[in-house]
Amino acid sequence: MSGNIRGFGYLESLPPVTFRRLYQQPATALAIFRRMLPNLAKTIVTTLLYNETPVALGDLEALVRPESYRLACYAFSKLRRLHIITENNLDVSLDPVFKKNFRLALTGGHVWLLSGGDNRGDHHSFGVPCNTEDKKKITVQFLDDYATRQFEAILHYMVGTHNEVKPSKGVITLLTKGGLMERHGAGSVATITKNGFSFLLQDGNPQIWALLIQYLEMSEELGMEQTDVLHFLLMLGSLELGQAYSVNTLTETQKLMLADLRDYGVVYQRKSSSDRFYPTRLATTLTSESGGLRSASASMSSAMVKDAEEGKGFIILETNYRVYAYTDSPLQIAVLNLFVKLSTRYPNLVSGRISRRSIQEAIKMGITADQVIDYLSAHAHPQMRKSLVTLPPTVVDQIRLWQIEGERMRTTTGFLFKDFHSTQEFEEVAKYAEELGVLKWKKPARRCMFVTRHEQIADWLKRRASAQQQQLKKAAA
Amino acid sequence: MADSDEDYIATDDEEIGAHNVGKSGRHRPAGGVAAAGGGSGARSKNGNKPGGGAQKRERWEDIKRSWDNVVEGEDGSLSSTVAGLLEAGKRKRLLKDTTPLQRGIIRHLILILDLSSAMMEKDFRPTRYLLSLRYACDFIREYFEQNPISQLGVLGMRDGLAVRVSDLSGNPMDHIEAIGKLRLDEGKGAPSLQNALEMSRAALFHAPSHGTREVVIVFGALLSSDPGDIHQTINRLVEDKIRVSVVGLSAQVAVCRELCKRTNAGDESVYGVALDDKHFRELLIDTTIPPVTRSAKMSASSLLMMGFPSRTVEKTASLCACHSELTKGGYLCSRCSTKVCALPMECPACGLTLILSTHLARSYHHLFPLKNWVEVPWKAASKSTHCYSCQIPFPHPPTKPEELSAPAKTATGTSVSSRYACTVCHNHFCIDCDVFCHETLYNCPACQSSVPKGKVSNGAGGRGDPMEVD
Amino acid sequence: MDTVDASVHYSQAIDEKPSLLVLILDTNPYAWSTLSATLPLERALASILIFLNAHLAFSHANRVAVIASHTKSARFLYPTTTTTTTTTAAAAASGSEDPLRDANKYRQFRIIEDQVQASFAELMNQTTAGELVDAKETMMAGALGLALGYVNRLVRVDDGGVLGAGAAGEVTSMNARILVISVSGDLAEQYVPVMNSIFAAQRKKIPIDICKVAGETVFLQQASDTTRGIYMQLEHPENLLQYLMMCFIPDTATRRHLVPPTQINVDFRAACFCHKNVVDIGFVCSICLSIFCTPPEGAICTTCNTKLDISALGNFGGNPAVVLTKKKKTKKLKQSKATSFSNEASATSTPGTPAS
Repeated sequence: MSGNIRGFGYLESLPPVTFRRLYQQPATALAIFRRMLPNLAKTIVTTLLYNETPVALGDLEALVRPESYRLACYAFSKLRRLHIITENNLDVSLDPVFKKNFRLALTGGHVWLLSGGDNRGDHHSFGVPCNTEDKKKITVQFLDDYATRQFEAILHYMVGTHNEVKPSKGVITLLTKGGLMERHGAGSVATITKNGFSFLLQDGNPQIWALLIQYLEMSEELGMEQTDVLHFLLMLGSLELGQAYSVNTLTETQKLMLADLRDYGVVYQRKSSSDRFYPTRLATTLTSESGGLRSASASMSSAMVKDAEEGKGFIILETNYRVYAYTDSPLQIAVLNLFVKLSTRYPNLVSGRISRRSIQEAIKMGITADQVIDYLSAHAHPQMRKSLVTLPPTVVDQIRLWQIEGERMRTTTGFLFKDFHSTQEFEEVAKYAEELGVLKWKKPARRCMFVTRHEQIADWLKRRASAQQQQLKKAAA
Repeated sequence: MADSDEDYIATDDEEIGAHNVGKSGRHRPAGGVAAAGGGSGARSKNGNKPGGGAQKRERWEDIKRSWDNVVEGEDGSLSSTVAGLLEAGKRKRLLKDTTPLQRGIIRHLILILDLSSAMMEKDFRPTRYLLSLRYACDFIREYFEQNPISQLGVLGMRDGLAVRVSDLSGNPMDHIEAIGKLRLDEGKGAPSLQNALEMSRAALFHAPSHGTREVVIVFGALLSSDPGDIHQTINRLVEDKIRVSVVGLSAQVAVCRELCKRTNAGDESVYGVALDDKHFRELLIDTTIPPVTRSAKMSASSLLMMGFPSRTVEKTASLCACHSELTKGGYLCSRCSTKVCALPMECPACGLTLILSTHLARSYHHLFPLKNWVEVPWKAASKSTHCYSCQIPFPHPPTKPEELSAPAKTATGTSVSSRYACTVCHNHFCIDCDVFCHETLYNCPACQSSVPKGKVSNGAGGRGDPMEVD
Repeated sequence: MDTVDASVHYSQAIDEKPSLLVLILDTNPYAWSTLSATLPLERALASILIFLNAHLAFSHANRVAVIASHTKSARFLYPTTTTTTTTTAAAAASGSEDPLRDANKYRQFRIIEDQVQASFAELMNQTTAGELVDAKETMMAGALGLALGYVNRLVRVDDGGVLGAGAAGEVTSMNARILVISVSGDLAEQYVPVMNSIFAAQRKKIPIDICKVAGETVFLQQASDTTRGIYMQLEHPENLLQYLMMCFIPDTATRRHLVPPTQINVDFRAACFCHKNVVDIGFVCSICLSIFCTPPEGAICTTCNTKLDISALGNFGGNPAVVLTKKKKTKKLKQSKATSFSNEASATSTPGTPAS
């Protein structure tokens, strides 16, 4: 669970106009396709991509096995929410802007590949590399070190460990605005919040996105063009590590952003007046999905991205609740210290044990049991991964039980549906909601139910209503 | 009591084995002292020597410790040595004899499982009993994978009796189901080798002469409670040309050794005692490879009639003749058009053997094995920079002349330049591709990727000559 | 709202593994030239490149490899080892290293495209007219072998030398599949190696998809059937791209949720070794498993030179035999269970041996 931190999914709530504008850049279209769609939705997009005429929704749904109905629903709702498909009655087609630019992204604007009249693109959306040699060679190693230093500085600052690099003022403002840190009174030192703890337990990629989304919101207040900011962020993901890119083709907003992104360690620029910038590994992996990170970049050396790599886990958890962590990073030790009672420290190893008290203290700080378990399994030592279940089930269950001890009530945010016209209508909607897996509670006697999300149901109701109306019309005619 | 128990070595083994278990408190640790329990644990290469017996130095007399092999690298870590050992292990697995031999492709095999009280021991986890049942299922799957046109039956030894588990048939699912039912039982009483062997002899009596007759025994006990003289049974087995191989679970038993030796023309290598569960599995799975035909008389060759049905898809479902289930697709018998749902099978109506042509093809690699590849010395290494198949880069040749002239084969059997060359097309491969090509693919990708000068037309590039009788 | 979105996305992302696509392109110039009216090779290559890009667009971690199965050789088009020559060739082929062009194309796409095109051009340049005389075959066995070797390295998680571990549920880091774009037919000479490759793929659970643009091959049909791949015979080859983007794009994990393209009757009949007839009932040598349409002359197997005992066959396929009254019972038994149940004792006395 990501608590109250907004991740990449936040983008879904943007208005349609923004999406249309985003899709004008092939790089952005590609990034959204790659990062935000489930595989099934991607398949649907490619199926439609070179179809000139709209396809009936029923035909598309017939491609999916009946057992996977729920997945198909999810895929379609995702496509609808991102405004990638447009629906006309029951026909589906791709958004024309998206279609054109996604094709451009795939073909690179080769005219000879296309039967249609698309022109050779001239969009520069994949970044313009510098064609002159840099005076000082910037190595990938250097960029990784830089990114690690900058980003770890932020994390260190949050946990309050001492580190030689202090994050800049902009970063601190961002953290406080985002609710990850809070300041009691004007001059006092900022302390970490509950959200901050959940943030710390996340993987590298969601962390970066959480920061950038926060940045996106803030940029609006500063009067920056939101689509410009997003274009730039998504473009960063398609750049090549170790390659210098020219600043000249960027818009004014984007040039302003460079300075901020430098603070986060996402890009590197020697001087703010320099006419070139280097994306770091944090940038180039922005649009790769979390699962792909590990194998994609086996040579990755940046610390927090490294954690996401499967082969580089460092924690061993035994059935007797003992924890051994092969690490000397003060950051990781600090994070572990949140929920483990550490007892011994060696040059490359810390050991301790998970106890009822240590977990309950963590829970008091706002960390959930699931977060602890996710963290442990995400960073489990390769030796632990050899077994079928990564973590000892007893310990996992016990951690959950310790959390439940303090919880008699569970809250779910969601939506209440009531005032249905008939029992039949109620039952139909309830059944649909159950199929989608969003139904939490229902009471047929009072015809009301509680669901965790409503868009799909609303959509479905709308479509059903229009279908009914059409039927009525037909009947009338 | 069987003859085996009056044998001095056997009891000695038993004692050491028991001591070992008690001391370590765990199930048999691999290697080292544990080999004592195994006697001639691994199938020794020199098993062919007649009458080695007590004079031969037993394996457990040379104690090998795993830490003797490990040498600290220059940087003080063990990683380089460990990587080297891994590679050596892969290579060792690989180096098989690849002379093409005539093999009995059509096999008739009885699997005898020990279901006696000795199987309730917990030295294999969870118990010998359950583990052997699990591996038996693996064995059956692998057996039919490797020998698609063969037959198999399963027997059990329990309470001094031979129990029929499943009949001789060609359908793996029948056997696996039957073995699955045993899971609820547990081992009881003493086993009787003689009874089980006599029963399998009877079951194999009708096996046609063109096929092999084999018995594989999983034997957990150290005794056999027989009603008569087992040696006479062995004589009869030899007469009937039935070969017996045994996988022991506790220690070497003299009568098993003799049984294997007599029925396999003096070859003892088919008797193995498992050191640990991995080794147990290996020993059992090894028996799925078709046996070598020893003499022309051993099995008469004949011509078999077979049907090659094509798969049909019907619009409406109909009953299949084999399981009486409604199916929409299936195979129609080439002779009588009876529908069956799976192959290989004997047509339930007319008795024709129905088979996929792909099943026949599956056995071809036994007949035309891929030759072993050879290590490449540094001198010849410069011609390749990458593995031909997987494109992994090779290490560069050293610059010093004395290193260049190092022999191709290192002490551990690996290639000094990490390259392995196909003897036919002389292309270089890495160890992983070497293993893959010999154990899974059975082709040399390079030989298949180019037309050799002499234009081999039968597609046998990289393969040996036509097989010969051993 | 937002929190829900994030969590759903998170849980969704876990089960999507990156996938590896190995594309084998049959580049037999002879076969392509017959197709030039509907689908010239250049156009096909362009479609394939878009398809590869689309595959790469699915995930950052997706990988491709392209192998050409040519008339006399099979080789990698991408990735290639001879980087120095190909990059310069690529620069030459694409005109120049124009920075504007870079900006219009995702770098990963561009690198692969250039390399494939360059090595393809190289392959075509090396093909002399002389080689093409009666060059109807294609090195499919070699190409499959290369593909499997490559997949094996990329996919495999080193199990530390444990051979048996594979059976207990293999851990792989990637899903892999092989797609063959085939234009030529007859592969009879490569029967055994192709079959070996198919079984290797089956054991490794790598589906082999066949996109059949032209020609007829029974083997490749069997390949896709055995490995649970997709077999598709294109009715309109000119729409290659559309076929590729619709049917062949989903990876193995996604396919579990999709209705597979309609199953077809698979021809499993075998070709006999003696006359290359396609038979549905044949005679098989028990030693080498050679298939014959009629018992071979003199009852000697033509492949392994073994004297075969054909008496056990009984009289199937021959004239009805006059049954001797003396041994009536055994014969009846044998008539019904002809091939597998004939013991030595009675085999010799069976009448009605077909004339050879």
